Amino acid sequence: MQPERGVLGVFAEVAAAAGAVRTLRKGGHAEIRFAAPAPYPELVEALGRPRSRLDSVTLSGAALGVAGGFALCIGTALAWPLMTGGKPIVSIPPFVIIAFELSVLVGACVNLAALAFSAGRGRRRRAVPYDPRFSADRIGVFVVGGDLGAAERTLRAGGAEEVRHVA
Amino acid sequence: MSAVLAPAQRVQATVLATQGRPRGGHLLLIALAGIAAALGAWAEIVQIQQGLKVSGLNRPVGWAVYITDFVFWVGIAHSGTLISAVLFLLRARFRTAIYRVAEAMTVFGVMTAGLFPVVHLGRPWFAYWLFPYPNQRHLWVNFRSPLMWDVFAVSTYFIVSAIFLVVGIVPDAAALRDASAGWRRRFYGVFAAGWRGTDEEWRHYARAYLYFAAFATPLVFSVHSVVSWDFAVSILPGWHSTIFPPYFVAGAIFSGIAMVVTLLVPLRKVLHLEELITPWHLDMTSRMILLTSLIVTYSYAIEAVMALRAGPGPELSIAAYRATGPFAPLYWTMVACNCVFPLFLIASKVRRSPAALLGICILVNVGMWLERFIIIVTSLSHDRIPYDWWGIYRPTMVEAGITLGSFGWFFFWFLIFVKLLPAVSISEMKEEVLHEVGHAA
Repeated sequence: MQPERGVLGVFAEVAAAAGAVRTLRKGGHAEIRFAAPAPYPELVEALGRPRSRLDSVTLSGAALGVAGGFALCIGTALAWPLMTGGKPIVSIPPFVIIAFELSVLVGACVNLAALAFSAGRGRRRRAVPYDPRFSADRIGVFVVGGDLGAAERTLRAGGAEEVRHVA
Repeated sequence: MSAVLAPAQRVQATVLATQGRPRGGHLLLIALAGIAAALGAWAEIVQIQQGLKVSGLNRPVGWAVYITDFVFWVGIAHSGTLISAVLFLLRARFRTAIYRVAEAMTVFGVMTAGLFPVVHLGRPWFAYWLFPYPNQRHLWVNFRSPLMWDVFAVSTYFIVSAIFLVVGIVPDAAALRDASAGWRRRFYGVFAAGWRGTDEEWRHYARAYLYFAAFATPLVFSVHSVVSWDFAVSILPGWHSTIFPPYFVAGAIFSGIAMVVTLLVPLRKVLHLEELITPWHLDMTSRMILLTSLIVTYSYAIEAVMALRAGPGPELSIAAYRATGPFAPLYWTMVACNCVFPLFLIASKVRRSPAALLGICILVNVGMWLERFIIIVTSLSHDRIPYDWWGIYRPTMVEAGITLGSFGWFFFWFLIFVKLLPAVSISEMKEEVLHEVGHAA
């Protein structure tokens, strides 16, 4: 998906990029995005996006794993009721181990699926123009909508080594 | 130079340089590992054709080298998760440069460990009976058996470790994709999964990674605890002990970190990673080896004390058998390798000397293999039933071949991995060097 119309600033310094993002936000620009080779905390903080809400999906997966683990063990024990050593057919303590392992397994798999879905959707909805330098040693700050002329001036004043309009 | 430009470029260039065409020495090592793995496969074929009689397994020693190898390789796999997940949650900065190697080692270690229960079955074509699924036999697995817990623990560990490794590679693969051409660009593109490094991707990635670490952390402690229950849940003297889970976990971390260093020292030299994996990283890793060595030494001492406190009886008899019986040379070699040689790591000069460190870590690997052998074989060979009595176990060439093959199998995959995918995390190192630049300023 092509990114929307906006202004892209290319930065070589994290501090400068973070400063420009802060200034842009103060200037009333609502739609600011970046692409960077690493999740630099200063930059992430400057953008002020809310924390990802993968938690609920991932933890639901883990809970499903616990339930599935117990269901599998109890169902198996009841389907094949073989008494050994006078111990109960449905013996919960050993089943806790299986339930724990499945909670980790299902939780991790659901976490992976949620990450793939959320990151892919985010990449399409909040696209930043592709530039191979953004995975190497440069940071791209992309401003969409609003007064693009003012955004360009802010990016230049903030230390962008290159600023261009994206149609 | 700016805060991002110079260090980030240097990190990427250093790691990218490791991804070139393998040189003669590297190809030779891959070939040697492949030959060792093939030898192991041939030994396994001989065992399948002729049955378990070609192994040294007999009454009363029904578990020996194969189970030793299984426990050894699961233990080796442990430190990867410890370094990548536990140290991530603890924000230990020294993990950044070494965790990828440890994670890869974990995945290949579990892949190797997983072979041994199947090899040990004798009839490996029935291995699928271990997994629960509706079948025409109308039989279900017994979830009250520790062997079944093992199937779930090791399978879960393998899948979660593999996911953790692959997810960590995604941003690095994108960096390599953008810096490569030809088939490598397409290859890295598959691992990059369309990654662009946008704020939305990083936002979800950071949260998901935290959860992967949170899920993997209890696995560090649970998997080897479950492996220890294979023994501790039985009533055999020498195995039936409540100290086994922490003892096994400490031993697993000990042997695993020793293997990480065994791999790291030559790797940083051969791949020219000295700038990223510094003596400081080796120093910090050595401290963990020293700590876990002390825990393992304490466990050995506690085992002996418990046997003495119990008075004359099976426990004391097995402790004396280990220290003075036919396996005593192996027992004391184990004590020297695991308890004495690591004490040299108290000296910072030794901790920062790659050659000395490598020597100690190889000895630790030998010692930890012997530890598992001693636990398994001596407890079984000292039987108490008249018609089984005592039996001395000696491994055969087939068992030696399969063990050698497991090392070949492990190193084969590892050597290919370091040439195809980054052995050091590029994105985290970029963040790390910026942190260092910030502190220096």
